[in-house]
Amino acid sequence: MQLLIEAIGFGIASGAVIALGAVGFSVQFGMSNILNITYGSLMTLGAYLGLVLIDRGVNAWIALAAAGVVIGVVSVGFHRWLLAPLVRRGTRAFAVVIVTVSAGVVLQYVIVAFAGPDAKSYGEQSGQTFHLAGLILTASQVAIIVLTTALMLALHLLLTRSTLGRAMRATASNRILAQSCGINTDRISDVAWLLSGVLCGAAGVALAITTVSFDFSLGPVFLIPMIAAAVLGGIGQPYGAMLGGMVVGMASELAAAFSNPAYREVVAFAILILMLLIRPTGLFGTASATRRLTA
Amino acid sequence: MEYYAIVLLVYLGTDLLAAWGLNLEFGVAGVANLAFIVTIAAGAYAYVVFTLPSPAAGGSFQQYVGGLSLPFPVALAGGVLAGAVVGVLIGITGLKRLRQDYQAVAMLVVSLMAATIVTADTGFLGGNAGLVLLPNFAPFSDQDPEIQRWLFVAIVAVCCVGGYLVLRRFTNGPIGRALRAMRDDENAAAAIGKDIVAMRLMVQAVGGGFGGLSGALLVAFIGGWSPGAWAYVETLALLTAVIVGGMGNNRGVTLGTFLIAIVLLQGVQFLPQMAFRIGLREDLGWIVLGVVTIAFIWLRPQGMLPERRPKYGGSS
Amino acid sequence: MSQASPILEVRELVKHYGGVRAVDGATFTAARGAITGLIGPNGAGKSTALNVIGGFLSPDGGRVIFDGEDVTGWPMHRLARRGLVRTFQLARVFGGLTTLENLLVAAPGQRGETLWGVLAGKRYWGRQEGQVLLQAREMLRAFGMEAKADEYARNLSGGQKRAVETMRALMMRPKLLLLDEPMAGLSPSLSRQLEDLFLKLTGEGMSLLLVEHGLDTVDRICSNVVVMAQGKVLSEGRMTELRSRKEVQDAYVIG
Repeated sequence: MQLLIEAIGFGIASGAVIALGAVGFSVQFGMSNILNITYGSLMTLGAYLGLVLIDRGVNAWIALAAAGVVIGVVSVGFHRWLLAPLVRRGTRAFAVVIVTVSAGVVLQYVIVAFAGPDAKSYGEQSGQTFHLAGLILTASQVAIIVLTTALMLALHLLLTRSTLGRAMRATASNRILAQSCGINTDRISDVAWLLSGVLCGAAGVALAITTVSFDFSLGPVFLIPMIAAAVLGGIGQPYGAMLGGMVVGMASELAAAFSNPAYREVVAFAILILMLLIRPTGLFGTASATRRLTA
Repeated sequence: MEYYAIVLLVYLGTDLLAAWGLNLEFGVAGVANLAFIVTIAAGAYAYVVFTLPSPAAGGSFQQYVGGLSLPFPVALAGGVLAGAVVGVLIGITGLKRLRQDYQAVAMLVVSLMAATIVTADTGFLGGNAGLVLLPNFAPFSDQDPEIQRWLFVAIVAVCCVGGYLVLRRFTNGPIGRALRAMRDDENAAAAIGKDIVAMRLMVQAVGGGFGGLSGALLVAFIGGWSPGAWAYVETLALLTAVIVGGMGNNRGVTLGTFLIAIVLLQGVQFLPQMAFRIGLREDLGWIVLGVVTIAFIWLRPQGMLPERRPKYGGSS
Repeated sequence: MSQASPILEVRELVKHYGGVRAVDGATFTAARGAITGLIGPNGAGKSTALNVIGGFLSPDGGRVIFDGEDVTGWPMHRLARRGLVRTFQLARVFGGLTTLENLLVAAPGQRGETLWGVLAGKRYWGRQEGQVLLQAREMLRAFGMEAKADEYARNLSGGQKRAVETMRALMMRPKLLLLDEPMAGLSPSLSRQLEDLFLKLTGEGMSLLLVEHGLDTVDRICSNVVVMAQGKVLSEGRMTELRSRKEVQDAYVIG
C-alpha cells in the first residue's frame, strides 16, 4: 500500500512535468503540423542553462523562467528560419522530421562538447515534505505541480479570453481562413512557437529539478513520454496533452513501482506505439494523421 | 598503421551492407525505417548467442540466452536471418497507413524501446554491459593473427560483392519499378494491383537481412557488442549516407557511405587532440553529420548522385 | 441489347463520410460491354460511390457484385487484379517514374515482381518484360505521347498526366474501368479522341462506368445513365428518356 501511495505521488509530479512538455509540443504541432523532435534537445538545453544560472546562485525559479525565455527565443528562430522555409518549398513531412532529428543531435552534441558527458545535478533539494490527502510529496515536487498548474491556467486564459489566443486558435484550425480574416498568421505562428518554446525550456528545468541527476541524453529519452502524452490526448490539442501527461506519468510510475524500474520508459514507449497503431488522432483529437504541412 | 587500414576496410564493408539495405527500404521503397539499426543489432546479437558457449557451462560472468557454440558460417547465416525477422517485425508496426513523419517517429520509438528493453533485462542479452569474448572464427584460428585479419577482410569483401549482386535484383527491373511506384504514391500503386503490404514486408525482410549481415560481420571482428553500439543516432548516420550519396541510387549510396562513415566519422579521429576534453572529436563528428544532413535536405535532397533515369530498349 | 448478366451490381450501398450519409442506399447496375454514366448534381454522392466500388473506401452497408462475384469490402489491389480498375479524380501519376515506366508498372501479373522472379533474375522475366514494353510503346503511340516516354512523369502537364492515368488503367486490361471525370480539363478535341477510344474499347468487350459532369459526353457515349441525388439513385435509363423526367430536372435545379 505504501508503495502505491508513493507511486501515485511520484506519478502526479512526473505527470505534471510531462504535461508541461507535452502541451508545448502539442501547440507546435497544432500550429504548424510539424513533429518537432528537436524539442527534446531544446529541453536539455534549458536544463543546462538553468544549471549554469543556479550554480551562480540565481534562485531556481528565476533560473527556470530565464531558461524558458531563452529556449522560447531559440524555438521561434528555429521555426522561422529553418522549418518554415523548408515547408514552404514543399519539403515532405518525413524530411522535415529528419531535419528536426538532426538538429536535435547537433544540439545534443554541442551541449556535450561544452558541458561534458558527466551527469549533473541541481544539488540538494530541501528535505521538506508535505502530506496531502494521504500522499507524501517533496517541496520541489509540490512546487513543480503548482507551477505547472499555474502555467496551464495561464495558457487556458490566454487561449480563451484574449484576442491573441483567439487568433492562435483560428490560425491553428484553418490557416487560410484566418488569413482572409486579416490575421497575420506568420506573426501568430511566431508567438505560438515562442510560448511553446518557453514551456519547453521550463519543462527541461522542471525535469532536471525532479530527477536526481541528468546528462545530455535527458531530452531525447524524456521526449518520448511527452509525445506519448500529446498523441494520447489528441495531437494538436493542448488540453488533451495535459490530461495525457497525467495518464502517462501515472502509468509509468505505477509500472516502475510494481515491476522493473527500468521499465518506466517502456510504458511511455508502449503507449505511444499503441496509440499510433490504433488511434493516431488520440482520444480527443481532431487532427488528421494525413493532413499536409503548413508553414 | 596496417591494422588501422584493416579496421577501415571492415567498417567500410559492413557500413556498405547496412547502407544498401537502408537504401532499399527507404530510397527505393519509401519505407521510413528509422529503426534500421535494430536489425543490425539483431544480427550482431544473434551471431553472439550462436557462437558463445552456453552461459552455464563456461562459468562465465555474462548472462544471456542461447549460447550454442556454432561455427562461423552458421552463425553468420543466423545473423542474416535474425536481421530479416526483426526487419519484418518492425515492418508490421509500420503497416498502418500513417503519414510518413508519424511513421518515422514510431520507428524512432521502436528503436529506443528496443535499446531500453535490452539494457533493462540483464539476463537476456547482457544488459548495458553487453557481451564480449567471442571465440575467434574457427576456420582460420590456426593461422597467424595478421593473416587471419586479412582473411576476414576478404570474407567481408565477398559478402559485399555477393550482397551487391542480390541488391541489384531488388532495385532494378520490374520489382524496382513497383517499389518506386509504391514510394511515390501508395494508394495509386494499390489501385493498379500492387500488394502494398507484401511488398513492404518483403523489403523490410531483405533490408533487414542486409542489416543483420552487417551486424554479424562487425561483431565477429570487434569481438563484443553492447547497447552503446546501436544508439538511435546510428540510423541517422546511415540515413545521412543515403541522403548525401543519392537516395535510390546504389552507387550514390556507396559514395555517400564512404564519405560519411569513413571520411567523416573516422576522419575526426585524426584531428589534433583537443585539450579540454577527450571524446570531443566524436562529438564533433556527430555535429558535422547533423549539419550536413540538414544542409543536404535544404540544398540538394536528391543527393550527390541522383537516381538514374532507366533506359528501355525498343523505341521506334 | 445484350442479355448477358450485368458486369456490376450495386445494392443498397451506404457510406458515411464526414458525418453525412454521402451514399444512402444506392442501387444500380452497369451493363457488360457498355458505357454507363453516373450523373447528378454536386454532393449527390457519385464520387463517393465510385470510391467505394473501387475499394478506396470501405462500405458501411450494402453489396457490390462484380462479374457475378461478391466483392464488397475488398481492398483495391485485389479488385484491380480481378479486373475492376479505377482512376482518380485528380490524376495521380508516379512522379519519380518516367512516363513509359508508369505504363510498364501497371501491367498485371508481372513475374519479375514476385520474390521467386526477382531471385531467378532476368532470364525468368525478360521475355514477358519485352512483351509488356511493346504494349506500352503501342499505347504511347496511340495517345501521341512517344516523345515523352523517358520524361519523369512529375514534369508532365496536367492534361498529359490525365492521359497517363488513363493509359495506365488501360494497360491493366480491365473488365470494368471506373473513371471519375475523365474529361475534366481536357481540350474539346482531346475529349473527342478519348470518347472515341472509349467507344472502341467497349466494342472490344470492356465495360466502363464513369462519373461525368459534361452532359455532352454523357449524351454521346453513354448507353445507360444512372442519376444520383442526395446519396440515392433517382433514376436509371437512357439519357433521352431521363431528360424529360421531372424528378431528374428537379434534382439538377434544386439538389
